[in-house]
Amino acid sequence: MAVNSAETTEKIKSLIYKTCLYQDDCEWKNWLDFCSEDFNYYIRAYSPEIQKDMEYMGGPKEYMESITGQLRKHNIDDSPLKRHGVVYRVDVADDNKSATAVTSLTVFQTLLGGNSSHVDSGTTGIFLVGRYNDKFVIDGDDVKFIEREVRLDTRRLDKGTHWPI
Amino acid sequence: MSARNHEQWNAQPKLQSGEWVDSKIYSDEEIFEEELEKIWKQTWIPVCHESELKNAYDFRTMTIAREPVIVVRGKDMKVRAFLNVCPHRGNMIERRPSGSFAKSTPSGTPKTMTCMFHAWQFDMKGKCVNITRKEEGYQDRLCESDVGLRELKSEVYFGGFIWVSLNDNINQTVEEFAAGALDSLAPSVNEEPLEVFHYHKAIIDCNYKLWHDTNCEFYHDYLHYHNRITGFNDEYFARKNTGFTGGHVNVGSFEVQYENYEGFHSREELSFPHLPANQWYMIDMFPGVNFNLRGSALRSDIMTPLGPNKVMIEFRGLGLASDSPKDRKIRIDHHNSIWGPFGRNLCEDLIAVTGQGAAMQSGSESRQILHGRHENETIHDENGMRHYYEEWGRWVGRSPSHPDQPFVEPVETA
Repeated sequence: MAVNSAETTEKIKSLIYKTCLYQDDCEWKNWLDFCSEDFNYYIRAYSPEIQKDMEYMGGPKEYMESITGQLRKHNIDDSPLKRHGVVYRVDVADDNKSATAVTSLTVFQTLLGGNSSHVDSGTTGIFLVGRYNDKFVIDGDDVKFIEREVRLDTRRLDKGTHWPI
Repeated sequence: MSARNHEQWNAQPKLQSGEWVDSKIYSDEEIFEEELEKIWKQTWIPVCHESELKNAYDFRTMTIAREPVIVVRGKDMKVRAFLNVCPHRGNMIERRPSGSFAKSTPSGTPKTMTCMFHAWQFDMKGKCVNITRKEEGYQDRLCESDVGLRELKSEVYFGGFIWVSLNDNINQTVEEFAAGALDSLAPSVNEEPLEVFHYHKAIIDCNYKLWHDTNCEFYHDYLHYHNRITGFNDEYFARKNTGFTGGHVNVGSFEVQYENYEGFHSREELSFPHLPANQWYMIDMFPGVNFNLRGSALRSDIMTPLGPNKVMIEFRGLGLASDSPKDRKIRIDHHNSIWGPFGRNLCEDLIAVTGQGAAMQSGSESRQILHGRHENETIHDENGMRHYYEEWGRWVGRSPSHPDQPFVEPVETA
């Protein structure tokens, strides 16, 4: 039977929330600094239309560093995204060297330009709904993400975004 | 002259007829309704791919010009299309996006399409096979053979896409309709079965033709850092835009230098059959369909116009059905890193066209939208859009530059 360390569980919750703030503020390097060198990131969704599991985005840490590092060269939608996450479950392995966590996720978008900024700016809507399914490596006091799967319910993504979720 | 006053702004451009369009064609309610009747209800539209209905009794639902459509695969494995409407009380028969009729539903028995409302049932050929309490209600006045579904013309063509027309009297096959526009990619997509691996949709505030324009012209590659860094070279600027009968356009290929974008790599290892490494072809089909093959992954855009200033675009990604899991994963990465909802290019295109939509919405003053670039029909020439709008004028019967005037066939010049 797994014995959850309350301290480790709290540390993981704190890490998820802290990195949500970094992502909200587009501080990608600060987010990725909490990811191990073996980290992999995925955005996935099941499509009832084609009856397949899909991967909208995926790559190792190096790829995520590369694409976030080039964002300034792209014409991106600057409308801020804010993550509202609630960590529903943390499971720490018996040996206290790994853990998993499930976070219920809603991402809100507050339009900056929208279609017409005069009309739309300041409007907040739900951008997507899903979950973070996270895996962690634990080394003593050090906890790092080794995998993040963003599992989306939302598949109508309209303009989409360059930003990782 | 620098900035212009209202009169100057509205003056006719110093371009030839056909080298600009009036923005009213993107915003006018009356023109939009005419387009649905005169174009979208008359022509062939690809609605899905055969890999979405692999087994007997599988189905997919969609709409064409507001009409609900269902595509089913019969026991004989033939794909047929019907109006997704019960002939009894006009209810939509099937509401799910996809599924199977092999098993029973709460209102019906297996292997039938059952309208949940009053449990009328239909087989996969559209024949009514059960009217509940028929004798009690209709005596001998109405029987099953009187109330079959409305079957729609359908064909499987071009790599397994399922094409449907609401027009019973359409006098062309899809091949005839395509008029050779699909030929450049036919060997690559017809060599072996394809399979859809990606689907997402966007509903955005712009006219469907503005999305089609963006697919037709590559001058907008200035929008895309990715395309500039992996493309802009002599070979890129030599790509040809070729028009085909019916308003279709084919954009010729060149070799993309993917490795010039940090983190990206060559797609050579997984090129589609008969396709040289890292090539990129684009086919734009009238009135709003696009096929886009970047070496290892095929993308299709199928548009559903929802209003003068609203369109739904369904994006699909396809690979080879024979892909190993490893190859499929690579193809998916190749497709979505550029064209997925979190990719490098797609959201840039969508941001740009919604900006056009916002500036041309219904009731706004007409603007002249220029399609006048001439570069020997190469990549930044706007002949693709000119070719499209000439055909649009024929179908709608309006001049694209002066939509309140009738369309007049352009005079051929020597």
